[in-house]
Amino acid sequence: MIESTAAPFPTIRVRPWLGVLAIGSSLIATFMALVWAPTDAVQGDVYRIIFVHVPLAWLAYLAFFVVFVGSLGWLWTRRPWFDALAVASAEVGVLFTGMFIIAGSIWAKPTWGVWWTWDPRLVTTAIMFMMYIGYLLLRSLSTDFAQRATRAAVVGVIAVVDIPIVHLSVLWMNSLHQLPTVLRAGGSPALDAAMGAALGVSVLAFSLVYLWFVAERMSIELARQDRMLEARA
Amino acid sequence: MSAFERTLLIAARELAAERRRPDGLVAALTFTGVLVIMESLAFGPGQAHQPGIASALFWIAVLFAATLVVTRSFDRELEDDAIDAILVLEGGREALYAGKLVAIAIVLAIVETAAAALSLLLLDLDVALVGHLALVGVLGILALPPVVVLTTLLALRIRARVALVPILSFPILIPQVVACTQGAAAALTGDAATSLGWAGIVAAFALVYGVLGLTIVPAAIE
Repeated sequence: MIESTAAPFPTIRVRPWLGVLAIGSSLIATFMALVWAPTDAVQGDVYRIIFVHVPLAWLAYLAFFVVFVGSLGWLWTRRPWFDALAVASAEVGVLFTGMFIIAGSIWAKPTWGVWWTWDPRLVTTAIMFMMYIGYLLLRSLSTDFAQRATRAAVVGVIAVVDIPIVHLSVLWMNSLHQLPTVLRAGGSPALDAAMGAALGVSVLAFSLVYLWFVAERMSIELARQDRMLEARA
Repeated sequence: MSAFERTLLIAARELAAERRRPDGLVAALTFTGVLVIMESLAFGPGQAHQPGIASALFWIAVLFAATLVVTRSFDRELEDDAIDAILVLEGGREALYAGKLVAIAIVLAIVETAAAALSLLLLDLDVALVGHLALVGVLGILALPPVVVLTTLLALRIRARVALVPILSFPILIPQVVACTQGAAAALTGDAATSLGWAGIVAAFALVYGVLGLTIVPAAIE
């Protein structure tokens, strides 16, 4: 049985504050990234795209992990809240992944000399992007609420299981991508302290934007679910 | 009736339907033949003759054929709502999935044999390790259908199913196609160890997605 989503939802109270925090931290992050952080000795100002690229990368993976959690939650409990979480995170994840690929491409041209290369990390990201576009397409083409949620949840589970597999499958190719800059095995971050601080604030700001977008999108989805369930009743 | 017997029953029913009206098989055979010829011409005979390219063209053609066979198989189920009777039976969903896999693997074996003969003939390929090539071929037809059948079940009764199934399944199948291509190319060039290594990866994918499908199918069909 599918429960109504009419019960009060906590994001209603935190949403405005999330918005204020997201916008405020984004302004601080923009200042730190463009003004406060020093110019890189090798790449010059081009490197500043790292303050967009790295947070987007982190959020792309986080968003799809949240889709996985929401999908499992729906399959386990059949509570519409989990489906709303999954669709909200998937939409924001697709948006951020698209921006992540575009930002990476813009950075690749002056540093690698090409807009795109068949690097394992790039290929994995592009495949992940396609999988979640398929996920959203499947949702948009299903009309019945429960069927749509179940079908999408299955794809949400398979897709996240497939991501590490796809990544491993393309590792045989030579990689142009640089090694991790911040989370390096057995060493401190390969970043100047000011650059590291600016990157940390950027990651925080983008994470808050992600939470804000997801909360807003969830509230829309929950209202839509209520209308669908009322119409069916 | 045990789960194994139910699976065999579904597979036998599927094969009987295919024998009576072999439109799925005929379409897949024709489509694969056209694709192999078209791709080879697009690359040019000199390029397409190379083991890596020939293998890639072959496995892409087999992937399309698998999609075609599975789609046709479920079209038949939907024509007279025959699928509904299976789904309401106890263990019917698992039997439907497993039975379809068995039957589609057999149909695909015929398609693959014909496509392999055509590729070897037209591209004048030398096969250094016939046994290894056959092993990769057999494992390939076990590795591709689980994902295609699962995504077809998810897209069942959706208007744009024909477009949706490739969109959902092809990104998931990239590792399988890469492994089959590399394994077949190594078998053509005589690199036994590499071919066996890739064959092992294909076998692992067949097992993982076969089990994952059986686990998730009961929840996937409403």
